[in-house]
Amino acid sequence: MASKYGLAGGIPERRVRPIWDAIDSRQYKNALKLCVGLLAKHPSSPYALALKALILERMGKLDEARSVCLNAKDLLYSSTAVHVDDLTLSTLQIVFQRLDRLDLATSCYEHACAKYPNNLEIMMGLFNCYVREYSYVKQQQIAIKMYKIVGEERFLLWAVCSIQLQVISSNGGDKLLPLAEGLLKKHIASHSLHEPEALHIYISVLEQQGKYETALEVISGNLGSLIGIEVDKLRIQGRLLARARDFAAGAEKFQRVLELCSDDWDAFLNYLGCLLEDDINWSKASVTDQIKLSNSVDFQNCKLSTLTEEVFNFRLSSALSFVQNLQMKGHNDCVRCPYLATIEIERRRRLNGKADDFKLMEVLLNYFNRFGHLSCFTSDVESSLHILTSDERNEILEAFGKSSESSSTIPTKAIGSAITIFKIQELFDCASCFPVSDLEAIAVKMVDMYCKSLCLSRELDPQENMHGEELLSMACNVLVHLFWRTRCLSYLLVAILVLEFGSNIRRYVWQYKILLLHLYSHFGALPLAYEWYGTLDVKNILLETVSHHILPQMLRSPLWSETADLLKEYIKFMDDYFNEAADLTFLAYRHRNYSKVIEFVQFKERLQHSYQYLMARMDASILQMKQKTDKLEDVECILENVKHGLQFLELSNEAELKLLTFNEDFQTRPWWSPTSSINYLLETFEEGTAHRREQKHQVDARECVTRKAIEWKSLLPRMVYLSIQVASSFLKENIELNGSVSDIDYTSEFKCLLERYARNLGLSFEDATEAIVGISEGKKSFKEYDLEMVHLINFAVFVNAFNLCTHHLEPGVGHQQSSWHIVNSLVEKCISEELMHAQPILTSPGNNLPILVDLVTESISWHILVIQSCLRSVIPSGKKKKKPSATDQLNLPQLQPVHASIQCLTNSIQDVQTWLEGQVNKPEDESLDTLLSHLQRGDTEQGPHQIFRILEETATESNPELGERISGSLQCWNSANVIRKLVVAQHRSVTEFHCICASKLRLLESFKQLI
Amino acid sequence: MTTIRRFCCDDLLRFAPVNFDHLTETFNMSFYMTYLARWPDYFHVAEAPGGRIMGYIMGKVEGQGESWHGHVTAVTVASEYRRQQLAKKLMNMLEDISDKMDKAYFVDLFVRASNMPAIKMYEKLGYVIYRRVLRYYSGEEDGLDMRKALSRDVKKKSIIPLKRPVTPDELEYD
Repeated sequence: MASKYGLAGGIPERRVRPIWDAIDSRQYKNALKLCVGLLAKHPSSPYALALKALILERMGKLDEARSVCLNAKDLLYSSTAVHVDDLTLSTLQIVFQRLDRLDLATSCYEHACAKYPNNLEIMMGLFNCYVREYSYVKQQQIAIKMYKIVGEERFLLWAVCSIQLQVISSNGGDKLLPLAEGLLKKHIASHSLHEPEALHIYISVLEQQGKYETALEVISGNLGSLIGIEVDKLRIQGRLLARARDFAAGAEKFQRVLELCSDDWDAFLNYLGCLLEDDINWSKASVTDQIKLSNSVDFQNCKLSTLTEEVFNFRLSSALSFVQNLQMKGHNDCVRCPYLATIEIERRRRLNGKADDFKLMEVLLNYFNRFGHLSCFTSDVESSLHILTSDERNEILEAFGKSSESSSTIPTKAIGSAITIFKIQELFDCASCFPVSDLEAIAVKMVDMYCKSLCLSRELDPQENMHGEELLSMACNVLVHLFWRTRCLSYLLVAILVLEFGSNIRRYVWQYKILLLHLYSHFGALPLAYEWYGTLDVKNILLETVSHHILPQMLRSPLWSETADLLKEYIKFMDDYFNEAADLTFLAYRHRNYSKVIEFVQFKERLQHSYQYLMARMDASILQMKQKTDKLEDVECILENVKHGLQFLELSNEAELKLLTFNEDFQTRPWWSPTSSINYLLETFEEGTAHRREQKHQVDARECVTRKAIEWKSLLPRMVYLSIQVASSFLKENIELNGSVSDIDYTSEFKCLLERYARNLGLSFEDATEAIVGISEGKKSFKEYDLEMVHLINFAVFVNAFNLCTHHLEPGVGHQQSSWHIVNSLVEKCISEELMHAQPILTSPGNNLPILVDLVTESISWHILVIQSCLRSVIPSGKKKKKPSATDQLNLPQLQPVHASIQCLTNSIQDVQTWLEGQVNKPEDESLDTLLSHLQRGDTEQGPHQIFRILEETATESNPELGERISGSLQCWNSANVIRKLVVAQHRSVTEFHCICASKLRLLESFKQLI
Repeated sequence: MTTIRRFCCDDLLRFAPVNFDHLTETFNMSFYMTYLARWPDYFHVAEAPGGRIMGYIMGKVEGQGESWHGHVTAVTVASEYRRQQLAKKLMNMLEDISDKMDKAYFVDLFVRASNMPAIKMYEKLGYVIYRRVLRYYSGEEDGLDMRKALSRDVKKKSIIPLKRPVTPDELEYD
């Protein structure tokens, strides 16, 4: 900023520079002093005022900053003689933006533009204002004005981009495309084009209108020389030809690309697509794809070819001979495309039912012989392996096995091939069909192989991946599978030890970290999971894509402060990005990278509609409420900040839910929890069923679940607010029955929300009511409803609050119990049921601690808020002016159910406390011994014990071949320490929950004192 | 097996497995987007069959006169795709663009003085240690400024090593 001064608003630079220096070095007090001095000399300078506003804003004095800014704005508007320049305007703009008043900044610029009609700098500033406001039409208009004044290519392209943005953002906006085309054509006729990006945009405008031939003429003509890299041009031409259905010419272009870049897999797929006239992929390309110059083709979805068998075979044969030619030309073992291409050709043959089955197996084996040792082999051939029959799968595994035994003489290659075979077994989900003993043997082999291959890595730098690192992740996967099947704890403990062992030798392996974080989460050692998450250094955009590894568990845990930190960091990242996104878009405009302009805007939209962002904002408020339930006033403040809960209802309306984006990267999740809402380990293993269900199906189902969860969460704060409101007047009904308009309003809204809440649970309001009444009367059970108990109890809590103003559920009117009693009974039943099955966290991974946490920190807490609100209405707090008749209003029969509820909650939480105390008070060493006994007892030749033994022996034997670094880390290995950490982390989880329960009990005790 | 194409914003949502690498920094959004907005030709991603991200390179072109040069800001490859010369491909691509499109004199990069595997790789690709930058990384570790001359620097003047180390303040560019 300091570099931008000059003669600002007519003030000499030397007077302004010290102020900017002070601002830049954050000496705001000094800056303000200097600025006041400047204002004394130039009292009517808008620039000096803008500077003052900027300083005030930086000092956090927002109101003052706003008022000074408005003064400056008035000056700009009022005086005709005042000097207006872009520096003044842009300084004001910065402050207005930070004060969240972009509209005021825009109007200043608009005013200045009207005053100085041909000032390009100010017009650019105004354009930038419209970019910030995402006002595409106005952007287009001002860009056209600038273009008309100076005739520069860039302003024309600014206008064209603004048109493109209108087209993308609205239905029917494509009528504007001919206008964009016309403008460009006219400009080209007189001035030609000079920037490659301008040409890309021109082509995309033509493409969006389906004018492929015209686009081809353009790129193949003089303008084509703007594309500096030959293959880029060929790729575009190929794409255009394919879209124009001139497949033969398209294939030729892609063939040429492959001759120049023989490893370009995308080019090969496009080449094949053209040969087989596979037009589904070309015609549907989105506008975005065209703008991004993407040539990607979704070949997973290839349909049957429409070509005759003869033509089909001929074309594939010519493709085969072409790639075989490429194979001959290349001598580099790093070029895999021409070899994988042969597999793809056979795959296509088979998909069209015209295959020689042996051929596919043969090319797969050839590929294995050449590249089987590479870590990426399996993912390379994944799509072809998937189409094999189960017999073929066994056959190919056998063939790979034989080949790797006979061929690899180089130890690193041998281990690579062995890993590949294990990986393919994993891909085929062999674990589900193998007997336990075989699986054990596999896990033992993997760990043994890892330990024996350590010496291969002795010369490696610690920064480099070690040979065989993947073996431990795979061993962990097998061990977890064994745990799932047998529920034998030692498998899980050994899985943890195996990964910790590997991390001890090389601590940078993120695959181990992620597996450990999930294992510890499942084991109830969330603090330790959180610690491992920390080592992944998840920040910035990764917060959007990978925080799903930890956030869902944390939200259901008693670790409130860490959870709040996670949410805060994520929300801050997103908000910061949204604040600067438009300026970055403008940067792309300025640097004439027009395709990026459109990409940036779309990306911002994508993140803006992120479901996780919406969820996090709701979770953050709900978490705050949970943390503050002891103090009703604090909860009211939190609710006030979210418009008494209305904000979330607005954010989660149906239109918004349709736009939601799901940006998480699930690639790195462990097999047993492919999405955050699935954990197979909580289910029972069923013999013979594959656990890996269709990935796409999982994701779709998850998105549906998520939309429901969002709706559910969005209702919560408002319902808590309404509950507090109606509860606060529950004893005053006689007085205010006719007088209180607001209560009547709440009633209808409350009813409506309760109905929505019930619908969200998959029930009608009546059915949901019947459910809670039925359960409380013992006529029904929780199990009859496929719902989380906490959701149903929350419903009962809100119905009870609602009942305070409507008496919907009155004793004697069809129901035997009061709604207070229903809540009490549900809480009691639910907690006792949970405690009946509750196992100590130490030895029962996946136990019900999260459910108990939910019950106490949600349902019970919301009910406590209702009670607090009731009590506050009859017993005003000390500081408040005591109503003279307060004690007279105490209607004891009506307070009776409140009292009973307090007692019931106390009893239930005490039961939880007692259960927790048994664990909190258990000595650490005792817990440690319990877990260690799972590792040490029994037949040492059995799988888990054998693995444990291998680890211990590798750590203790001194092997000079391992080199200093590996030997050193082995010496530090101590399995008992690992288990102790686990015990400590579990203990902390339990202790935190114990503290929460204790604080609730204290609160309830204080209520008892009151009445 | 690589499709190398321009990096786009959506790739930011898919590069986690690459960025989990402990030496790969995940920058803030304005950093990535400034590179995309200003030097999109210097920001490329390599995609594997099936669309997984194998690695990427980001860089820029800057300087004046004979110090007009390409700069490699980051180059990284996911562990699954290492030992296949992918970094070399990406580097060659950036060098090509610096050389042919922008007519730069040289390409430079900074590397941690302790990162021997990387230093060796850059040396294999023709880079030489031009100078040492004292405490370049977070004020702690020294950085090495490595350079490779391009065709425009006919006499290879740009890569004659400096005799003394420099401090970060003395660097011409951020």
